[in-house]
Amino acid sequence: MPGFTHLHTVSGFSARYGASHPERLAERAFERGMDALALTDRDTLAGTVRFAKACARSGVRPLFGAELAVGAPESAAADRTETSVRRDRRRAPVRGGAFVDESAPRVTFLARDGARGWADLCRLVSAAHTAEGTPLLSWPDNHADGLTVLLGPDSDVGRALAAGRPDRAARLLTPWREVYGDALRLEAVWHGRKGTGPGSLRLASRTVGFAAEQGIRPVLSNAVRYADPGQGEVADVLDAARRLVPIDATRELDSGEAWLKDAGAMRDAAERIVESAGFRRDTAHRLLEQTRATAAECLVDPEDDLGMGAVHFPEPHLVGAGRRTAQRALASRAAAGMVRRGYDRRRDHREYWERMHHELDIIAHHGFASYFLTVAQVVDDVRHMGIRVAARGSGAGSLVNHLLGIAHADPVEHGLLMERFLSKERVVLPDIDIDVESARRLEVYRAIIGRFGTERVATVAMPETYRVRHAIRDVGAALSMDPAEIDRVAKSFPHIRARDARAALDELPELRELAGERERYGKLWELVEGLDALPRGVAMHPCGVLLSDASLLSRTPVMPTSGEGFPMAQFDKDDVEDLGLLKLDVLGVRMQSAMAHAVAEVARATGERVDLDGVPEGDPATYRMIRSAETLGCFQIESPGQRDLVGRLQPSTFHDLVVDISLFRPGPVAADMVRPFIEARHGRAPVRYPHEDLAEPLAGTYGVVVFHEQIIDIVDIMTGCGRGEADRVRRGLSDPESQGRIRVWFAQHATANGYDAETIQRTWEIVEAFGSYGFCKAHAVAFAVPTYQSAWLKAHHPAAFYAGLLTHDPGMYPKRLLLADARRRGVPILPLDVNKSGVAHRIELVSESRSRTRGAKTWGLRLALSDVHGISEAEAERIAAGQPYASLLDFWERARPSRPLAGRLAQVGALDAFGANRRDLQLHLTELHRGARGGRGDQLPLAGGRKTASAGLPDLTSAEKLSAELGVLSMDASRNLMDDHRAFLRELGVVSAKRLREARHGETVLVAGAKAATQTPPIRSGRRVIFSTLDDGSGLVDLAFFDDSHDACAHTVFHSWLLLVRGVVQRRGPRSLSVVGSAAWNLADLLEVRREEGLEGVAARLAGTAGGTRGADGGDDPEGGPARRRLAGSDGRPAPAGSAAQDPMEQRTIRMSTGYEMHPWADLRPAGEGPAVGRKLWHQSPGSAG
Amino acid sequence: MTILCVRFQLPPMYEAALPELLGLLEEFTPVVEALPPDGALADLRGAERYFGRDAVELASVIRVRALALYGVDCVIGAGPGPMLARMALRDARPGLTRAVPAGEERDFLAGKPVVALPGVGTATARTLCEYGLDTLGRVAAAPLSTLQRLVGAKAGRELHEKAQGVDRGRVVPNGVSRSLAADRPFDRDELDPDRHRRALLSAAGELGARLRAVGKVCRTLTLTVRYADRSATTRSRTLSEPTAHSAALTRTAYDLYEALGLQRARVRSVALRAESLTAAEHASHQLTFDPVDEKVRRIEEVADRARAKFGPRAVMPGSLAA
Repeated sequence: MPGFTHLHTVSGFSARYGASHPERLAERAFERGMDALALTDRDTLAGTVRFAKACARSGVRPLFGAELAVGAPESAAADRTETSVRRDRRRAPVRGGAFVDESAPRVTFLARDGARGWADLCRLVSAAHTAEGTPLLSWPDNHADGLTVLLGPDSDVGRALAAGRPDRAARLLTPWREVYGDALRLEAVWHGRKGTGPGSLRLASRTVGFAAEQGIRPVLSNAVRYADPGQGEVADVLDAARRLVPIDATRELDSGEAWLKDAGAMRDAAERIVESAGFRRDTAHRLLEQTRATAAECLVDPEDDLGMGAVHFPEPHLVGAGRRTAQRALASRAAAGMVRRGYDRRRDHREYWERMHHELDIIAHHGFASYFLTVAQVVDDVRHMGIRVAARGSGAGSLVNHLLGIAHADPVEHGLLMERFLSKERVVLPDIDIDVESARRLEVYRAIIGRFGTERVATVAMPETYRVRHAIRDVGAALSMDPAEIDRVAKSFPHIRARDARAALDELPELRELAGERERYGKLWELVEGLDALPRGVAMHPCGVLLSDASLLSRTPVMPTSGEGFPMAQFDKDDVEDLGLLKLDVLGVRMQSAMAHAVAEVARATGERVDLDGVPEGDPATYRMIRSAETLGCFQIESPGQRDLVGRLQPSTFHDLVVDISLFRPGPVAADMVRPFIEARHGRAPVRYPHEDLAEPLAGTYGVVVFHEQIIDIVDIMTGCGRGEADRVRRGLSDPESQGRIRVWFAQHATANGYDAETIQRTWEIVEAFGSYGFCKAHAVAFAVPTYQSAWLKAHHPAAFYAGLLTHDPGMYPKRLLLADARRRGVPILPLDVNKSGVAHRIELVSESRSRTRGAKTWGLRLALSDVHGISEAEAERIAAGQPYASLLDFWERARPSRPLAGRLAQVGALDAFGANRRDLQLHLTELHRGARGGRGDQLPLAGGRKTASAGLPDLTSAEKLSAELGVLSMDASRNLMDDHRAFLRELGVVSAKRLREARHGETVLVAGAKAATQTPPIRSGRRVIFSTLDDGSGLVDLAFFDDSHDACAHTVFHSWLLLVRGVVQRRGPRSLSVVGSAAWNLADLLEVRREEGLEGVAARLAGTAGGTRGADGGDDPEGGPARRRLAGSDGRPAPAGSAAQDPMEQRTIRMSTGYEMHPWADLRPAGEGPAVGRKLWHQSPGSAG
Repeated sequence: MTILCVRFQLPPMYEAALPELLGLLEEFTPVVEALPPDGALADLRGAERYFGRDAVELASVIRVRALALYGVDCVIGAGPGPMLARMALRDARPGLTRAVPAGEERDFLAGKPVVALPGVGTATARTLCEYGLDTLGRVAAAPLSTLQRLVGAKAGRELHEKAQGVDRGRVVPNGVSRSLAADRPFDRDELDPDRHRRALLSAAGELGARLRAVGKVCRTLTLTVRYADRSATTRSRTLSEPTAHSAALTRTAYDLYEALGLQRARVRSVALRAESLTAAEHASHQLTFDPVDEKVRRIEEVADRARAKFGPRAVMPGSLAA
């Protein structure tokens, strides 16, 4: 029996419509004996590449298409106006919003004529996205030579037929026939529905009859939305999520028939349709034949026509090559760089020249010269805009990149290899990533678009897929669950995949309570898992920019991004590489912005110009600070694990920093490279080399392999294969299959080079164990530069450094922790004041006289207006521009703050300068507001015009002031919030972070504090460990909870903001200290109990629950929201677990390709809401500051 | 300490039993004010001397009689004025009458949150709390002028007095409920306007029937729509003439509903409330030449009689019968 080709199939990339992944569809098509399958997603071609690859794997021929909403032709537009006017007149709903408008007719387009068809398809999809609101293809854009058009039940023609109006259908058909002529098809769909609507037998037969009448070829399709039968319920949920309404069981639901039916079922459908259309049963084969013929016409080859595998660079004349070839231009620019940097005058200049020519040869070999020039052009443009820019990644290993000004560090000096980046043996596109200031990233994008034009530049898409929390929210809403309940259930979960929902319920201790009531939610879990990984929307990728020649738009569909309107390709970053589009990663790094702000503040306040890139290496004060492990806020070395590592490693040179950053990766931690390295470094263990030939590459790291570059060198020295080949070998190491082959190859060649078997064996062990884990040294060097720069700033300009950090918030910790750190380091924190605060954080001279170290001045940190909750940029700027203000009235009239904003400013004391207490000020503000609104002139109860009169209201208590600061600024600005609980903590005998430093190893202690960061990183033992950091005002306490304590502690740790923890002190060095928790309580609850029931109550609570107090309210605070996530910068990578007591419990582990075992629930953003911000840290009494 | 505030523990929707229970109170004093749906205020100033017992003792008698006669338990608060009696009620439980002796008003009030004071709604309470006046003690301590600036001249003065324990209220005998409500919850998030309207039709019909049963007309109709997220929208409209005519109430309810223009709102319940009730015999009715109106009212009368005889579901609009 010949197969059937589904011409109308959508995948999950039709956001909130399709229920199956393209891979699954291709797989099923193969299983059901089809040899071709079309993918026609709604308004998007984003699934194309995955689909094409999956089809190639399954041996199914892919057809490409899209389903688009189409506007009416002008002639028909006339009779539509009446209805559209009526729709516009519809009253705006007071609640809940309007219905999602899905009234536009939809038509399926299939690419037919190879590259031309594909280009037409791209053009149509891009054109549809130029419409305002939802994508809609306007009629003037609706023409193409290389496309086949299917008019199905949802098209205007199909709708007229469903309405029983063949006359109108014939009229509507005319414009289609004029444009597409022979390429027009009528699509019949039968889903077993009743009536005459889409999917009904009567409409299908009418369509076939109408086609015969009009002389247009009919085709049969199944309008596929999911791969398998039984997924109709998932489709219902998606419908509900798309239309933003709950599933209404009394309305028509999905028929459950829209799956990828096999040929037999489709033939039956064809027979039913032709029969009911009044033809003989055997005419069904003609309908199927037409379908097959239509499929056969659509010939688009993924390789040739989509351009997969080919590379397109911007034309050379755009990147400064003029009339020369790109290679010539590159060579001359590189040579100029040599002269400019003075390498040609060095004694070892030959080495530089040779390296340069060698690299140019490699580049010429691949023809990548335009690529280098393009990146150089972008970097030049960015630098001219005065934006800090730095290269990261393996590109830093290329001297040419350095000479072009892309990378800062000199690769020859640091021993970085070009081969790690690009070699003749390597065939993939190299990638150079550049870091820019995060706050000005979009400016950079605009500059790139301005330079190359919208026809060559597009940003890259990033599909947002369903994970467990979103899936629960959407399914819950579809099932009419109580929103508060949905919220609670969703937030109980860590950020795991949706398909693991039920497994997580079974296994995770913090979900035990929820698991107990799982039956109550019925089908929820099943449906949640059904949504797993389906795209639910699309966002702009935070760093990728596509650069191509002028043919970009005929190869890529482009849509505008929602916020800025940048052109964005619908493909994601992996697709883009497969399509041979050149992607440049422009990463916004908050730390770069923070440092830029710090430097600007220093210049503004002191007139001193700091050149960060010219900071001398080896500054003792900086390394002293780093060695003290008080590196909060420093790039890459601020996480708990890094502070621990830095404390043990005691770096004293730039190279030490590079090593430190390289060691702090899952690989090296897993392979336990940290300990031998530290032992050897501190002289406690001898430095050993497998062979003296290898001493040179390994000398810098005491014989421990840390860098990829060292592996490359080892393989090159032992086998003499050349570094390019050695890099290929290194890449092969991560694949267990090729590892065996490499081992044999390595032994042969090393023996040939005269090494003895034992050396080979030992070397191979090192290569095998560390090869795939090591870190690219070029990366590490690129990272270490901002690390050193930020540490230098922290050591020398602390106030400015904190001003930068607080303004751009780069780190993993909440702002209040940075503020606490500043306070500990003796930086005065100056309160918010409308007469003194700027939009951003500033520094101010506090005292000049007290000569401390160098007779230095003390600079204080002035809090910023932009941190006030709910302030708009314009308001902050207006307030700052109007300074100074003489009185409250003056402030009110000139700064024109909104009433709530003025109230918040009064609460945190920003208006204290105007006299009266903060509540009196509130009252005056209210009256000013009423006065302004009523237009009743200004009869104001202000005494003397300057000072505000008292109204006799009680002032905020000190606790209320702190609460207001947390609520308004999300920071405890005046003092640490834990200070208020000192008395209770003393009663409990809690050890402060400061005193903890003197605690003995193995001592059992109680610690308490505000939770700052919680992670469950992958660690060496393959178990799940919860790491948390508490801040108690005197310092930070790093906590670790191992699995034996999870049952009792996990829920409390994830869902409380203030914690009391019992644990055992673990010491691993003079500066390395952590507490292994065994019990945890929600401190906020205990404080409440202490206040209301006294110590007896606390005792009862502690007696009742051995560390398993329930978390406070899972967060019914809609505003606070999760703290802003860091995009780049010092994200907390894993902490080394060290040696803790072994747990006999057998655990399920995930084995990574590197052979490294991981706990299935590790490395996820944990449950709860992340670090506490704002008021959650504060108990809420009914009469708090409002 | 002569005013009692009584709350009978009636099962919900049994307000019909209230008049009988008021009768019970009226055996002690003629000055009884009904607080629908389940409460009453009674002024025992004369009764104390007549029965020779003080208010607290009389409260026990009342409770015993209510239990014996009607099987209904009650909670009682006692105080020098209606406001204090009401506030005392909140601290009382069955079997324990909470009394506020004269002279201790200020101490009694000082620790209470402002929102406990009758007449202080959520909006006023929010305003006061914003300014740190979260307990009545603090309100009492604040200057009068400041209070007046906060909540307005009249309200400020009243608030000031009340917070001092000055209770100027009197018990006004009425015996009538001042409003009637009908609630129609949905068991799922309901978006369908047809079903919304059907619920409104049924609620308006019920209100009309109940109004006519007690011989009242209403002047104002209030629609409250509750949503899945527990928020609500409230709209009210004054009728062109006071009425208890179901058709007129339904029309107004529909108008109120249409004005909301709901589309995707996840409605969990609709509730209608008839307010400003007055006696039907005092209501005016605009006659028309249209005989239909007259006929509809006559049919309604007949239907009421049928319902009285055969139960509330005996006659109902066709769209609700399904």
